[in-house]
Amino acid sequence: MTHSKFPTGVVIAAVAAGALTLAACSGGGQEAANDELVITCATCQESPTDPFLQYNFEAAQRFNEEFDGTYRIETLSNANAGSGDERLQYYQRLALADDLPDLFQLNSAEISALSETGSLHDFTGELASDTAWADTFQPGTFDALTGIGGEVWAIPQQRDPIGIYYNKDLWSKAGYDELPATWNEFEEGARALAETGAIPLALDGDWATMLMWTNLIGTAPGGQEFLNEGIAGKDFVDDEAAYEATERLRDWHVEGLVNSDAFSGEFQNAAAAYLSGSAATVPNGPWFVKTNLQGDAAIDGIYESTGYSVSPGWDDGQGLIVVSGAGWVSGAEDETKLEAVLAFLKFVSSEEEVIIQAEQTGANPAVIVDQTALEAADLEPLSSALVSASNDVALTYPHVRVHGPAGFGNAWKNLWPAYVKGDIDTETFLTRLADDANASGD
Amino acid sequence: MRFSAFVSIVPAAVLFGTFFAIPLVVLIATSFTSWSGRSLEIVGVENYQRMITDPVFMKALGNTLFYLAIGVFVQVPLGVGVGMVLALKPRGWKAFRTLLFIPFVISGAAYALIFSMFYNSRSGLLNSLLAPLGISGRDWLFDSETARWAVAGTFAFILGFVMIVIMAEIASIPRELYEAARVDGASELQQQLLITLPLLRNAIGTCVLIRVLADIGMFDLVFILTSGGPDDSTVSLALYAYRAYLQGDWGYANAIGTVIIGLGAILIVLVRRLFRIGDR
Repeated sequence: MTHSKFPTGVVIAAVAAGALTLAACSGGGQEAANDELVITCATCQESPTDPFLQYNFEAAQRFNEEFDGTYRIETLSNANAGSGDERLQYYQRLALADDLPDLFQLNSAEISALSETGSLHDFTGELASDTAWADTFQPGTFDALTGIGGEVWAIPQQRDPIGIYYNKDLWSKAGYDELPATWNEFEEGARALAETGAIPLALDGDWATMLMWTNLIGTAPGGQEFLNEGIAGKDFVDDEAAYEATERLRDWHVEGLVNSDAFSGEFQNAAAAYLSGSAATVPNGPWFVKTNLQGDAAIDGIYESTGYSVSPGWDDGQGLIVVSGAGWVSGAEDETKLEAVLAFLKFVSSEEEVIIQAEQTGANPAVIVDQTALEAADLEPLSSALVSASNDVALTYPHVRVHGPAGFGNAWKNLWPAYVKGDIDTETFLTRLADDANASGD
Repeated sequence: MRFSAFVSIVPAAVLFGTFFAIPLVVLIATSFTSWSGRSLEIVGVENYQRMITDPVFMKALGNTLFYLAIGVFVQVPLGVGVGMVLALKPRGWKAFRTLLFIPFVISGAAYALIFSMFYNSRSGLLNSLLAPLGISGRDWLFDSETARWAVAGTFAFILGFVMIVIMAEIASIPRELYEAARVDGASELQQQLLITLPLLRNAIGTCVLIRVLADIGMFDLVFILTSGGPDDSTVSLALYAYRAYLQGDWGYANAIGTVIIGLGAILIVLVRRLFRIGDR
């Protein structure tokens, strides 16, 4: 009697394949057995290194506790949760597969690009029908998150003024008690600082360099229009503010007023120069305090020596970058899930939660918070002072790295070193920057 | 028996089809489209025509061939030379073998980070070493004149793999050949040049082949060290394809990917023929 026998390996493979198929088929259930409505969050995972993700994780746990039995957030593990070059592409792929998470976070440029897939939820209706909630947000916080047709693609997570940190001791040695109020004075001070042996300004070729470029533009006549609108176009060369700012910033490098390793795109290079006491000035947001100034890499006393200021101006008034670019977006489609999404968004934009977020991350609330509650909270004094100062500042504008086209950062990193080192002239730099930043597969 | 044999290759065939054949077909097919993720339109050979007039693509092609040349003409000969010397088992050869092999087992990303600190213009070791010699410091990775050479310098001297392959091949050469040569009065150098080197043809060919395959897809080192800058002076084909992908230009990215595969296939055939790999 002959039997055709299957090899053991084949049987095991078949069983494994069957088991995988069953597991895959059973994985899509969102409705728990006890009618609890489950939604997914792709930026709510635990993170020991990213205070924003960690806050989201803890907020989701608090939400699950408060709405136990009604709503529950299921945390998705996501390698692209934090900001990075691949995050947009990751969500575009999910949008193509009609598989976006119910909740996740993006910056304004990414939101703008992802909204074109037609897979993002527009919150206009919810905000219009709940004006009490809509009115809790600070003025202008939705600007960078709103589409051309008035669609509100995201609920803002924060509203941060981004200023300039300076070492009071070093500037004092150069004869300045505080950061100069005009660019001309800043340059004179920087030259005086260089003579004392200090590096006047620490930059990185990316985020921090663009912050200074943005400040130089934003405080110039017509600069705010460029940063709000012109940045999305292809005509940078003819913008006087952008042209002048570009040459001024380049000249600082050429003159030796900036750290020589300012082109890698690694903020840590700029941070190291400042935290070691070698550099006198570095621009960044409030999170710099927790992640750097109070970190292990900072020399003793650097926190105490640090002041935080708005940007110098050209003549009339100083300026400040305000970033409200990051927001919560949703790929949920059915009404029941959107109900849970909205419940969570209202939860995280409550006064209690935004203060917890501010304490944990250093980010400032996107909603209006009672001054007494703010004062009672354990907020970082350096950044709190800047928030107060931001109420009186003459000019505010968005950061090009957040509000500009999605390709702006990579285009800048590629071209800026070549421009500063004289390989290309200002016209070529600005023309190519505009072209490359706005390049897409359309 | 025949059925069992057929069934036994099914898992391998399924894996090959799923993870290689189907993606390859998709890659090639979509290289003839304009595909942004939102829409897909067949454009024929437009993406390939675009490459010819795209200066950045030409830079990427030139850089990739440059990295490949460094791998083939610097790394492989050096590795062969070192392997041949260490196979003679001079004093301390085991320590040298270990030291030279260590860089090969370090991940590319970690290696790139080490070198980004080494090249750092303000606090890097290279400028510190050159300063006492009166050579002024440079921003090696972000100066268009030096960037490509600085990137190549990070991998040109990773000799471990070639060295080990060569040493293993030499160990398999019958000792009688050397004894006969010595009897005939051949010097040590003559033995190396006339016996060892010709018998290493297969091993050297294999090393060149592997180097070609690694360098044609050069990505991680360049990405971490310079992101392809300054002004695209270090960008490789693989990195340029990735950039196109990030910009939502997926059809063009896949066309570049197809070029990488085509170029790799041509070079494999050339290297195999040149070294007669497999022939004894």
